[in-house]
Amino acid sequence: MADRRLRFEQTVLPHIDAAYNLARWLTRNDQDARDVVQDSMLRAYRFFDGLRGEARPWLLALVRNACMTWLKANRPAELAGADPAWAEFEPADEETPETLALRALDRRMINEALAALPAHFREALILRELEDLSYKDIARITGAPVGTVMSRLSRARRLLADSLRAIARASSAGVSG
Amino acid sequence: MTRDDDRQQDALSAAIREKADYHSAPESLLEAVRASLPVSAERPPRIRFWLAQAAALAGVAVLTWAATLGYLRPGSDEGLAMELVASHVRATLDKRQIDVASSDQHTVKPWLSARLAYSPPVADLSAHGFELQGARLEHVGGRPVAVLVYGRRKHVIDAYVWPARTGAAAATLTRDGFNVESFAAGEMRFGLVSDLNRNELRDLARLLALGQ
Repeated sequence: MADRRLRFEQTVLPHIDAAYNLARWLTRNDQDARDVVQDSMLRAYRFFDGLRGEARPWLLALVRNACMTWLKANRPAELAGADPAWAEFEPADEETPETLALRALDRRMINEALAALPAHFREALILRELEDLSYKDIARITGAPVGTVMSRLSRARRLLADSLRAIARASSAGVSG
Repeated sequence: MTRDDDRQQDALSAAIREKADYHSAPESLLEAVRASLPVSAERPPRIRFWLAQAAALAGVAVLTWAATLGYLRPGSDEGLAMELVASHVRATLDKRQIDVASSDQHTVKPWLSARLAYSPPVADLSAHGFELQGARLEHVGGRPVAVLVYGRRKHVIDAYVWPARTGAAAATLTRDGFNVESFAAGEMRFGLVSDLNRNELRDLARLLALGQ
């Protein structure tokens, strides 16, 4: 028993930052992210004996499922990304991409644009760019095939570019006006 | 997909990695989770604890005795090596060598940064035969210091890393059968302690100094 808890503290608990980061980005607020992480950690402790392989993707899958349940109950609109219409969505100005001055983008703009993405696109980007996980791990966490993960990531970045352009335009209009 | 598109995708990846907020778990959340886990006796029995303390103290006493007898060259390298070896021995006796067990540098580094006033470089050197096993915190010279734990065959190597403004000359010492490599790289000072042979320990020192 003591041993089990010690092993849990050494292998699973260190990933609490990754757990909270994902939950915080998906629920978009501190209190709900805490609740989700707390519940997920207790579940993780209960199912700890079934853990094979790396602990981080395993824990993140639990956190991700808890977030999805929370979103379904509280913000169903944000799950629109799962809809086939969204999955096929192509940004309008793909033909003539207006070059995006990425260096001019500040922290606030990036955060704002990320937060505004539908949940499935947002989670893909968080897992890939902030957690540095492989396509395979992301597929396992989100329960989607690897091909879907890759196309979702690519669409997520294009959606993000679109929304960053809009934010940049709005803020430069705000400065000159 | 066009090349421009590819480039834009890469640039966006980089922008997210650099600029998006990473929300580390608040300390109070970690406390709450710990408190909610089923309670258990975490400490080893008292007698074992005292035996370990006594053994560690004996180790320090032997080193001090050796130093006063002139077996060791005097100087700050000595003091440092002795302190690192004592810390390494203490951790081994306590069987508390790893606080965060992971071979993933992206897990170990944030764990350390969240608990220290600096962010030590963490390299995955498994391609060179040094397997990252995890890390822990130690008190050395009155301050918390990051210890990266590497494995090579059956040997364990503790890599102590802390920031230092002034560069120090590299030194190789042997204390109580342990080899100690100390050197500076970038803004950091490193102290490697292990029962691994000198040559291989020096290989690790070189790799760490290169920041690979």
